[in-house]
Amino acid sequence: MRAKAKLYPKEAARLLREKPGVREAVTGATLHFERNRLRAYAEVPIAEWRERAKALKDHVLSHLDHYLELAEKRLRENGVQVHWAETPEDAHRLLRAVVERHGVKRAVKAKSMLTEELGVNPLLASLGVEVFETDLGEYLIQLLGEPPSHIVGPAIHLSLKEIQKLFHERFGTPLDASPEALAQVARKVLREAFLSAELGISGANFLVAETGTLALMENEGNIRLSTSLPKVHVAFVGIEKLLPRFQDLALFLPLTARAATGQRLSTFVSLIQGPAREGEEGPEEVHVVLVDHGRTALLADPEAWETLRCLRCGACLNACPVYRQTGGHPYGYVYSGPIGAVLDPGLLSLEEAYPLPYASTLCGACLEACPVKIPIPKLLLTWRHRAVAEGLSPAWEKAALAAYRRVMESPTLYRLFSKALRGLPLPQDLLPLLRAWTEGRGPLKPSPKPFHQLWREMEEPHGR
Amino acid sequence: MDARSRILSRVKRALEDRPKAFLPEHPHLPFPEDPIPLFLERLGENGAEAHLLSPEGAQALLRELAQGLPGVAFGQGVPAPFREGLPPLPPEEAPLGVSWALFAVAETGTLALSSADGRRAQLLPPTHLVLVERERVYPTLLAAFQDLKTLPSALGLHSGPSKSADIGQVMVKGVHGPGRLIVAVLT
Repeated sequence: MRAKAKLYPKEAARLLREKPGVREAVTGATLHFERNRLRAYAEVPIAEWRERAKALKDHVLSHLDHYLELAEKRLRENGVQVHWAETPEDAHRLLRAVVERHGVKRAVKAKSMLTEELGVNPLLASLGVEVFETDLGEYLIQLLGEPPSHIVGPAIHLSLKEIQKLFHERFGTPLDASPEALAQVARKVLREAFLSAELGISGANFLVAETGTLALMENEGNIRLSTSLPKVHVAFVGIEKLLPRFQDLALFLPLTARAATGQRLSTFVSLIQGPAREGEEGPEEVHVVLVDHGRTALLADPEAWETLRCLRCGACLNACPVYRQTGGHPYGYVYSGPIGAVLDPGLLSLEEAYPLPYASTLCGACLEACPVKIPIPKLLLTWRHRAVAEGLSPAWEKAALAAYRRVMESPTLYRLFSKALRGLPLPQDLLPLLRAWTEGRGPLKPSPKPFHQLWREMEEPHGR
Repeated sequence: MDARSRILSRVKRALEDRPKAFLPEHPHLPFPEDPIPLFLERLGENGAEAHLLSPEGAQALLRELAQGLPGVAFGQGVPAPFREGLPPLPPEEAPLGVSWALFAVAETGTLALSSADGRRAQLLPPTHLVLVERERVYPTLLAAFQDLKTLPSALGLHSGPSKSADIGQVMVKGVHGPGRLIVAVLT
């Protein structure tokens, strides 16, 4: 996926102006996820779960070379073909070889953020392979030609009305068709695809080193079908996805489900050890592609490596008051919301993604929600510091902050400016810089008295 | 150097001066001695229909479900008495699939289905009946996973009917997998 993260402020403002319905849809969906998460967290000793999950991920990350080599060994013993990809081009080469060897015409895909990173769909299209995204939300946005706007709910920015219109145009369903009826139409199209595709493509939530197990979580059954029916299964796995032992899944599967959707466990979990054995149904060939694509650089970063603990549950997106206004599209890259704001500068480059760490109020809700306690607010500040140090922040911001500092350091200047600001009528278009702000909001109403005067008046009656 | 050695050498270099974090043990959750009531309750909350039945009772339930259907898709492990009098159908055509679970978990209301039992019957029919022996129900995921001696090529954990809220945040059942999950715990 081509990154447009640099354009975040413009794109966010444009979306709010041109598609006001997105804010409503995204706010509704994320608040729903958030309520469910809070209820699910409250049911278990969550502080202990999160601390343990964090410690376990830190253990894996600080022994990553050992666990990668162990996982590779176990996968091979299980009959899985293991590949390594540093770049999207490496991944493309491997996938092209599989497509050519098996004469693949159709592929079914389980939702995977990593395949978005790698641009798997455009590659397959260029090879003449018909690709079906099989997660219902992902299928909707594939029909629309849009990228996902949320890690877990890729189509949360769409209203029922928009989906009814889309299906009316594509499949001739009535404009008032029920969600059930629409789901049945999609089920029929995709069932046919499952039964005829030669290739199934997935990501992975976890890769267990001890047993070479791929773990995949979902609610629809499309991942189980994508990894069971086609004769070849290719799984793309980020190198940070490792867990040491099979029993570690007993913590990470329910923790991820509770964080993501508030479920005790996702409806379906696939725990895949390898290709079908003698006389069994299932794929004849299973490939695992271990992908770097910027992860080793993040691992080497002494301040930002903790980002690699991320489980991709989306809880921080749901908790974020900034993400809720726009959904993921304005962030301009695969990962949006708070985790995207600290992951994208590491995976792309700070120059590509420097506006994203500013897309936050630093309220800390993301850290509260995170099941592996990634210190997102601290990391946002780390990336902001770096953006300033590298001269990426705009010149007007530097000038404004310098002026602000002068005023704040001098009581005389402070009083003068505070008086002037309260006295001026502040027309909406006084400052073109503020237009993005004032367009969606009412006029500022300055208090008639400054704060320090109010404070003094409040304290005086007590005889100070 | 190939991609593998380049990635691994970068990982090693990144970790050279990083302190090694310890590997924590898992805490066992306190759970009731008899996991069955909790298992049935959680299955219900997950949207499944759960029953505690004798083998004969379960056979009667299956015959009732299969009434009027052209046939049933059976998992490999389903014992012969359950198959009697019911014409077998391929899973692509069957309106009902019947599976024999490897084990189950009360904590999450989960059934573990082995690929050795046959995957299509677990996924393609719109209704899925899963049979599980009472002794195979564990209180927690951790207890179940620690007890696993061997792993099949694929283990499917099913904790309810297939569902999605991707269309306008409205919950819809039976999107790709079975929209109706019925569980019989055999006494």
